[in-house]
Amino acid sequence: MRCGFWRNVPWSGVWHEDRGVKIRLTVNGEPREADVWAGESLLTTLRDTLELPGSKNACEQGECGSCSVLLDGALVCACLVLAAQADGHEVTTVEGLADREELHRVQRAFVEAGAVQCGFCTPGLVVATAALLEANPDPSDDEMREALSGNLCRCTGYAKIFDAVRLAARS
Amino acid sequence: MQLVRPSSVEEAVAALRGGAVALGGGTDLVPLLRDRIVEAETLVELHAAVPRGVRRCTPTSTSPSPSSARFWIGAGTPLAVLEAEPEIPTTLREACRLAASPQLRAMGTIGGNLLQATRCWYWRLKFPCWLHGGETCDAKEGQHREHAIFGNERCASAHPSDPAAALLALGARIRTDRRDLPLAELYRLPTDDDRSMTTLEPGELILELELPAAESSIYVKAMDRQRWAFALVGVAAARVGGETRIALAGVAPVPWLVSSPEELEQATPLPGTAYKLEIARALVQRALAQL
Ligand SMILES: Cc1cc2nc3c(=O)[nH]c(=O)nc-3n(C[C@H](O)[C@H](O)[C@H](O)COP(=O)(O)OP(=O)(O)OC[C@H]3O[C@@H](n4cnc5c(N)ncnc54)[C@H](O)[C@@H]3O)c2cc1C
Ligand code: SF4
Ligand code: FES
Ligand code: FES
Repeated sequence: MRCGFWRNVPWSGVWHEDRGVKIRLTVNGEPREADVWAGESLLTTLRDTLELPGSKNACEQGECGSCSVLLDGALVCACLVLAAQADGHEVTTVEGLADREELHRVQRAFVEAGAVQCGFCTPGLVVATAALLEANPDPSDDEMREALSGNLCRCTGYAKIFDAVRLAARS
Repeated sequence: MQLVRPSSVEEAVAALRGGAVALGGGTDLVPLLRDRIVEAETLVELHAAVPRGVRRCTPTSTSPSPSSARFWIGAGTPLAVLEAEPEIPTTLREACRLAASPQLRAMGTIGGNLLQATRCWYWRLKFPCWLHGGETCDAKEGQHREHAIFGNERCASAHPSDPAAALLALGARIRTDRRDLPLAELYRLPTDDDRSMTTLEPGELILELELPAAESSIYVKAMDRQRWAFALVGVAAARVGGETRIALAGVAPVPWLVSSPEELEQATPLPGTAYKLEIARALVQRALAQL
């Protein structure tokens, strides 16, 4: 529900009236369309228009990585990319990793390693880990830390997350 | 608001007439648009218009010295490309590698990085502070741990760009759609009459950077954590043509050149930023020792 109060909240592009820009993009392999405000973030469009709430909105400032998605294969913060910038491009969200009912190996590894507590950081970390292993199937601990340095977790202390990355790399 | 996507520099320049705002990777601009700190009728996406990539020009046998080799970097080049570019001077490569996070470096361009707005939270939270046209600097009266130790008479914000310090130490030049200037002349301390921090004209586009190959160069950065934090103090040092230059990030409203380590003693720290002077002394010493 979009009530009048939220419409006036200054930090939100979500409920903007002016949705004058039409975008066409490929999301998780499927062609999608949306009418967006020119200043609207890709994260807002994914979550609120394209009904893909897997990418999380925590800071909307680029500081936490919980909104991480792949844009033409590159790991980016969806909260800092305009939806209109993604027009004509390919986006992969956490929803696009699993093969129907079959979890992606990174998702399985996060479950098996117990790398999930509150779970808010998990979608971003899963996408970031999938991107890392795609580029570097056997990362060293330093490479792992470097690659995941843009994803903050306030619960786990990271040890289990790194266990999950190692497990995923082996599987 | 509309977004236009020109595919050449000429189209981009034309689209930018009349108050449109340029959009590089958007990593700085997107939150500012959302928070209505930047307002625009038209956004001009530079992705397909502004050059990207690195070119090296090798010196000829008649060149005066090996350091006369030069690099051209397209202003649209993402930091992620520069951090992995083995040929460019170390100070710039390291400054890019130590900036922001992998996600931000994948999108953020070097041109946008040089022009990023201040991270002062008073400004970002729209306090009517001096830089927003008001009377006083709220940070000086309030929280200013991350703020400046130089050039802080009016606005005490600290310039957040690591690559800008590296490029300043290298003596880089920038080419815009209308002129060619030393990077040092891109920046200015804001004054009561003109509170902008750059000398860029409305609608002016940065197209390319040009820098020398250094004999030796380094970037060292003190942060609150080991990765993904703005510089409390960043120190770039470079030796080019036998001359050593030092430039600092995070210490003044604009990237800051110091002509010698002794010049650090002219700092004017605030009560909450005195610690930055100690860090700056130590990092300058370390950088020069390793050069
Ligand atoms: C959480 C966070 C942490 C960060 N940490 C660091 C850090 O540690 N060190 C650091 O150096 N940076 C850091 N940054 C800044 C980041 O590197 C910049 O946001 C990024 O490089 C900006 O590039 P962009 O292409 O996305 O710029 P945009 O957001 O697209 O643009 C920024 C500004 O530059 C203008 N502009 C862009 N390109 C051009 C051009 N070619 N000509 C004229 N004007 C242009 C735009 O109009 C806008 O005013 C951080 C940012 C965030 C959000
Ligand atoms: S440091 Fe600058 S931006 Fe921050 S409150 Fe002071 S005048 Fe405003
Ligand atoms: S929500 Fe995008 S980085 Fe935090
Ligand atoms: S599990 Fe809670 S933030 Fe990571």
